[in-house]
Amino acid sequence: MDFSLNEEQQDWQQKAREFATHEIRPISLARDQIEGGFEPWDWGVIEKGSRLGFRTLAVPAKWGGPGTGFVTQTLVMMELAKGDSAICKAFSQNWKWSHLIAIACSDDQKERFLKPFLSDHRYLLGRGITEPNAGCDNRLPPEIDPKAGYRLRAIRDGDDWILNGEKTFIANGSVGSLFFIDARTDASVDITQGGTLFLVPKDTPGFRIGKVSNKSGWRFYQNAELIFEDARVPHANVIGGVGTGSVKSAGGDTTGGDLFGDLELSANAVGVCDDANGMAMAFACSNKRAGKFLIDHQLIQLGINEMNMLTEALRSFVMRVAWEHDQGQRSANGVLMVNYSTDVIRRVTRLNMDIHGAEGCRNNPRVSKLARDAMIWTHLAGDTVLRLKAVTKLERPGLAEAAA
Amino acid sequence: MFNLHLDAEQIEFRDTVRSFAANEIRPVAIHPDRLEPFAKPLMMDLLGQASELGLRVLTLSEAAGGVGADTLTSCIVLEEMAAGDVDIAVTLGETDLLGHLLFDNWMTPDQSERFLKRFTEDPAFHLGHGGSTPEVSGWNYHEDLPNETGAGVSAVMQDGDWVIDGSVSLAANAPIADLMVVPVRSDWAGGMSALVVPRDTPGLTIAETGEQTQVRWHHGSAANIQFRSCKVPSENLLGEAGNSPLSGGEYDALHTLQRAAINLGVGQAAFDAAVAYAKIRRQGGRNIVEHQAIGKFIAGMAVKLEAARTMIWKAAWVADHPEAIADRSVSDLPQQIIASIFTAETVLEVTQTAAECFGAMAVMRDMPLQKYVEDANMFVHSNGNDVSTSLQIAEAVVGYERTPAA
Repeated sequence: MDFSLNEEQQDWQQKAREFATHEIRPISLARDQIEGGFEPWDWGVIEKGSRLGFRTLAVPAKWGGPGTGFVTQTLVMMELAKGDSAICKAFSQNWKWSHLIAIACSDDQKERFLKPFLSDHRYLLGRGITEPNAGCDNRLPPEIDPKAGYRLRAIRDGDDWILNGEKTFIANGSVGSLFFIDARTDASVDITQGGTLFLVPKDTPGFRIGKVSNKSGWRFYQNAELIFEDARVPHANVIGGVGTGSVKSAGGDTTGGDLFGDLELSANAVGVCDDANGMAMAFACSNKRAGKFLIDHQLIQLGINEMNMLTEALRSFVMRVAWEHDQGQRSANGVLMVNYSTDVIRRVTRLNMDIHGAEGCRNNPRVSKLARDAMIWTHLAGDTVLRLKAVTKLERPGLAEAAA
Repeated sequence: MFNLHLDAEQIEFRDTVRSFAANEIRPVAIHPDRLEPFAKPLMMDLLGQASELGLRVLTLSEAAGGVGADTLTSCIVLEEMAAGDVDIAVTLGETDLLGHLLFDNWMTPDQSERFLKRFTEDPAFHLGHGGSTPEVSGWNYHEDLPNETGAGVSAVMQDGDWVIDGSVSLAANAPIADLMVVPVRSDWAGGMSALVVPRDTPGLTIAETGEQTQVRWHHGSAANIQFRSCKVPSENLLGEAGNSPLSGGEYDALHTLQRAAINLGVGQAAFDAAVAYAKIRRQGGRNIVEHQAIGKFIAGMAVKLEAARTMIWKAAWVADHPEAIADRSVSDLPQQIIASIFTAETVLEVTQTAAECFGAMAVMRDMPLQKYVEDANMFVHSNGNDVSTSLQIAEAVVGYERTPAA
């Protein structure tokens, strides 16, 4: 076994650390504390990061990107999230879908969409699958109910498709230039057969942004409703085939699933935990109770021990999965890792609150910010349903074998 | 004998407050227009309506003009009220507790004469606590050191008046209180003294807390107060100089219990919301309440809330029946601290589990779940419930006696 990083990985890590320290961290809490759904957003930090390559980090070299691997992407997310979890996500959300463009889109689509993505520092990507009545069902479609899952309708009209319906909580919704939209092209079968994935640029006629989500955590990060009223999308914007099921479109990895998506949340969690650990230690070494620094109280030592123990275990798990993904190995580890990251980020940000106590929480709103950001793991990632999904990825013995 | 059979009056009180919370408070308190903004001004109209129901003078004796309810009834009522709005419950609870202690226990007949009539007759008359919230702390575990009281207020006797100087942050009910009870250090022998200070006394200023953050880390209505050569007559001293009745433990014990009951109301509100939603939300081909994963959540929450309520009711019953400790029916452990730390931890878990039933909607600011979690977090990390609190129980278990501070 060899855990050393190569020079390229170390360079990106260092670059991300500097950007997080000098550009993200200084604005992080201030953006969090701005009222409203859209208002915490700031294009300035996105453009600065884009110039350094953080927006397009996952685009393959062949298409003009840095062509980094999963280990590098993981290292960069850990650093950026330590500055601000939500700002990190605003960058990495684009990597998720640049993987998809590179793997699943035709050369014509790459020409039309990857080029503007690479050249425009404000060009962001999003994927619209969730609807008011379709959340968990999109991740784990129930066999007993073929109608379950997204219902946004797409009807063929000559060379175009006409889209009608509504998406909700869509990532980068209010700031994205291009969306990957899951629509039903056949309502009589389930979404794995009746679903199709469309490329929808923001200026598509009949397509508009609805309400921007005002969240308790990840306040910088944008989620919004997408509304389709006879939105006309050319057939040339279908990814893969019609009715192959959008999740499996192009017959392979869409990377919104276990190859990148799980890694994305898990690496981000490590950054948040690193942040919490630093805050807890600094507070414990500078505040006294009953005449002693907090760090000299056993209660606090036990809390700090647990925070660091969990963080390092998560880091090891995440780096291992990143390495496995770079080797093209797929397993239940990706989803097990994201389940674990949910437990760890919740516990570590909670312990950070314990160490700060009422006075520390009151005087430094970043303490509760980390816990509010951590709550996102349980909610936007569909936590329980992912735990159930993980089991479907584990190998099951045959009945005879199990009985023996 | 320990008896969980509530009497007709207690049940009527509970039902009245439950329907008031559900029908009057909650529609306003969890309306998206109120939930989304960071600032949550106290809902004064509803506070006034709650006063009209008698909740401001719930535990004040009938002889003094109150309802004369016991501690158990107060806990039941505050839980219901908190399920409507935690800040209204905290505000009413503070006034009610101070009213009972001042007029039933601490004031001389002459002092009552000066304040009681206005207190009972004016539904907008509130009482405030001009000290730090009680610091239930175990940081000095098995050490002779006194707990830090945080009292930055002193008083000296000058020409027959007390002259008060100093400041207090987050004084409970200060923004709306007509009369403040203020613990002060004096040059008197012994410990702290306590003075009552009418709000309009020259030299007393009440300022906003200055908290501009998304989450303001306190419940109820609080403000920073400052005393600058603030003079009150010697007759405003409660009890004896150097022997503040606020330091006697009664206020802290009842306050801790009251907060636990309010905390429980937050958990119950989150639970009720989750159950109602699970019955109508359809995923996986059926209403989610029919999935084992959600069933496990609901059962877990129910177990936790029942356990917490049992502990609070027991502690309240013991507070109403101190003879039960004397005759060894129950242990002499600090039941209110035991109930409080268990409830705080348990309700945080309940609110988080309840939130999980709502998926992404739980982190949206126009939905109440994120607020329930935030409120529960505040109870776990408050002056009365910090990570060291449980050590006080450990000291009680082994009978550790702290040498009184010199």
